[in-house]
Amino acid sequence: MIINAVINGEVVQKECNPNKRLVDFLREDMEVLSVKEGCGEGECGSCTVLFDKEAVTSCTVLTGQINGREVTTVEGLDKKGQLESIVKSFVQAGAVQCGYCTPGMVISTMALLYKNPNPTEEEIKRALEGNLCRCTGYNKIVEAVKNMKE
Amino acid sequence: MDKELKYIGKRIDRPDAKDKVLGKTKYTGDMSRHGMLYGKLVISKKAHAKVRIDTTKAMAIEGVKAVFTYEDVPKKPYNSNQWYSGSVAEEDELILHETAKHVGDRIALVLGETMEAVEKGRQALIIEYDELPAVIGIEAAKKQSTIVAGETNLCFKKELTCGDVKSGFEKADFIIEDTGSTQKIHHAAIENHVCMAEVDTFGNLIIWSPCQVVFQVQHVTAQALDISYDKIRVVKSYIGGSFGGKGMPILEPICGFAALKTGRPVKIIMDRKDSIAATRTRNASIQRIKTGITKEGKIVAREIEIDFDGGAYLTNSSAIAVAAGKKAFRTYDIESQKYVGSTYYTHTTPGGACRGYGSPQVHAISEININNAAKKIGMDPVDFRIVNAVDPREYNEGAVDQIGMPAIGNARIKDCLIAGKEEFGWKERMESIKDKNTHRFAYGLGVAASAHGNGYHGSFPDYTNVTIQIMPDSRVLVKIGIHDLGCGTVLTMQQIAAEVLDISPDFINVPQADTHLSPYDSAGTQASRVTFVCGGAVKEAAELLKERMIKSYCDAFGCTQDQVWLKDGMIGSQSTEAMNYGSLATLCEDKYETTLKADLEYKSKANPSVYSAVFIEVKVDRYLGMVEIQDILVVQDAGQVINRTLAEGQVQGGAQMSLGMAICEEIIYDKKGNLKTDNFSKYHVINTPSMPLVKTLFIEKGEPLGPFGAKSIGELAAVAPAPALMNAINNPLGTNLTDYPATPERIIEALN
Repeated sequence: MIINAVINGEVVQKECNPNKRLVDFLREDMEVLSVKEGCGEGECGSCTVLFDKEAVTSCTVLTGQINGREVTTVEGLDKKGQLESIVKSFVQAGAVQCGYCTPGMVISTMALLYKNPNPTEEEIKRALEGNLCRCTGYNKIVEAVKNMKE
Repeated sequence: MDKELKYIGKRIDRPDAKDKVLGKTKYTGDMSRHGMLYGKLVISKKAHAKVRIDTTKAMAIEGVKAVFTYEDVPKKPYNSNQWYSGSVAEEDELILHETAKHVGDRIALVLGETMEAVEKGRQALIIEYDELPAVIGIEAAKKQSTIVAGETNLCFKKELTCGDVKSGFEKADFIIEDTGSTQKIHHAAIENHVCMAEVDTFGNLIIWSPCQVVFQVQHVTAQALDISYDKIRVVKSYIGGSFGGKGMPILEPICGFAALKTGRPVKIIMDRKDSIAATRTRNASIQRIKTGITKEGKIVAREIEIDFDGGAYLTNSSAIAVAAGKKAFRTYDIESQKYVGSTYYTHTTPGGACRGYGSPQVHAISEININNAAKKIGMDPVDFRIVNAVDPREYNEGAVDQIGMPAIGNARIKDCLIAGKEEFGWKERMESIKDKNTHRFAYGLGVAASAHGNGYHGSFPDYTNVTIQIMPDSRVLVKIGIHDLGCGTVLTMQQIAAEVLDISPDFINVPQADTHLSPYDSAGTQASRVTFVCGGAVKEAAELLKERMIKSYCDAFGCTQDQVWLKDGMIGSQSTEAMNYGSLATLCEDKYETTLKADLEYKSKANPSVYSAVFIEVKVDRYLGMVEIQDILVVQDAGQVINRTLAEGQVQGGAQMSLGMAICEEIIYDKKGNLKTDNFSKYHVINTPSMPLVKTLFIEKGEPLGPFGAKSIGELAAVAPAPALMNAINNPLGTNLTDYPATPERIIEALN
């Protein structure tokens, strides 16, 4: 089918298999490589993208489902200049080690802040519960998000 | 000491962090080459079976380029644990196997023009398994009714002793015995294993790998494919976490084989199930601990017996038993002690390096046993440890510990315990903790101590080569075979060189390991050697370079060495004009026909211990068996912290892994060896809401041979939190849980 969607701010009309996983469509067909696969079943969160303004794991969404919707990744947010504050905060807090989970963490953080610009620590932790990180123990990621809202 | 340092011990931002946040960093899975084929392994679904594979239908699928099975690959056995040509161990792996020996064993590789074609090809394979009896778990292996390999399932045994254990126990007023077990652990790097290879125009096989030891990948690939070392170029790519899991080459030999065979670049990607089943695990163990103490609380003798599950191939079976045993002799001053480590083959995923390498196992039960010993005589468990902990030693070249290993060095375990007790408010909490209890919730306190090492010195070659050069634009190029696994190794090296040369770390470039560009390194980024050994090498090479810079400057301008200063990338003297480092490099080339650089082969001369003490307060739900960590403090003997933010990150990340070992992580097989925990929905790692804030405290009293006094941090961090948590759970419940993990089911069972 022909997919009509807005991907990272650009209108995309593209012939594709609607049953292809969104993570594969983004990486293979759109060359959006910030979206990482870690588990393929929506448990690790490294492939998290914004579906309109909701954070979803793109390995559990089929490409056909994005028809008429907006998909945004860190590439799109960066293009719009929306990541300056989060970059600064993540870098300074030491929230990044290997970095593989980081784009997914950033997306989940942004989805939280859209809904709730002033989250409590508990709300931050809850928003990041679907994003696994094996390097940091999460402490510095939570700290980075807290610093952002302040 | 800290005040005089400009870059060491400071919070300097990681130069790679911004691109990682922006998703610009290219990991191996994000890389591609012109004409590249995609590949995926086919792994065994049976624990032990002769496999027959009909590839006809798969080969007929459009886009499937090749299917390789046992019949197609070289029959040259190798051992993926060998990290250099002298590490002798039986070679028992092939790149693809005819008889699968564990669920996850490599039985075929499908290559295609797209991943979609590869998947279709995999689905179209007709695989028949002739099942054979499987040995699952250590107890089954010990029965020896089915033999996994050779003549016995016992593939390695090692005894380490000091003093006279028999007479030691005779001096004891009390003997405290415990048995327990630790589980197989998945490393759970969020990036699954991946590898890319191509043959370049000069006939070199280039392998891009998120690995820990490029020279190991080169060695193992040379063995497996029977090709020349010098024709194999291994490039360490960005890595999405390792924790030991990417230490042994898994995909590299077969990826290289596929690229050579097809004449096209090949990228092989694993999924999570592959990463859990087909790579490596932390070795499971069954343990018996016996400790003899006097009524005053002095440990007079101890026996530790550990049986390890080595898995289906030899890999690290000897190393894990020895590495664990050595750590038993480093924390407490015990006159007579015996350790016996045995490793058994089983039909499960092979063991491998996993953050802490034996230390998490050897401390897991022994640190619970120490608590039981303290309890026996009514002594506080922190005080009991302080009484028995080792004291720091002066550095003497060639000095050894009780079992003949390199001396423990400036061992600050007592400082960790004393400072931690104070900082945590242990005494006050102990007095009042019971007041918090309700019928449902029990509050408890736990402590544990642990030791780990600093490299291979005393056991295996531990040296590295460094070239450090001043470039014409004043930047500094440091060539050394390092692999940043996400810990910030590159920045650590930058800060060390920056401190010596008095130039901003931003000006220092430390490219990661590449067998054709990096000078040889004997042991790679493993064994907690990088800061201590590689950092020591960078420091000494930078000092040599600094001497050369001063000498060249004096020769050129006719001043004396004591008049020369170096500051912020400028060199000058009281009476002569200052110039930047780059101009001095150009001057050296023009005037003296020489490169402004230093070369060094640095050999490690020591292998001191590092120590930690962990303090935990926990809340246990007596009804549901759930555990909530209320507070945790980790005190680590770090010698000197190089980068405070990185160091804290290591301790917090290590705690996440160790706490998971204590309460929720476990690779589970059924009796037939089927893997029950093949993804994160069944293999549970601690997530953000369940993770406590890990408070950190570093004891920084310097290690004589470490760079600026520094020693290892990251592996040690994954050791003591687990037994501290077990002790905290046992404390209020009055249980003696010694089987990891303490799941809600096990806690409820213990309460009943």
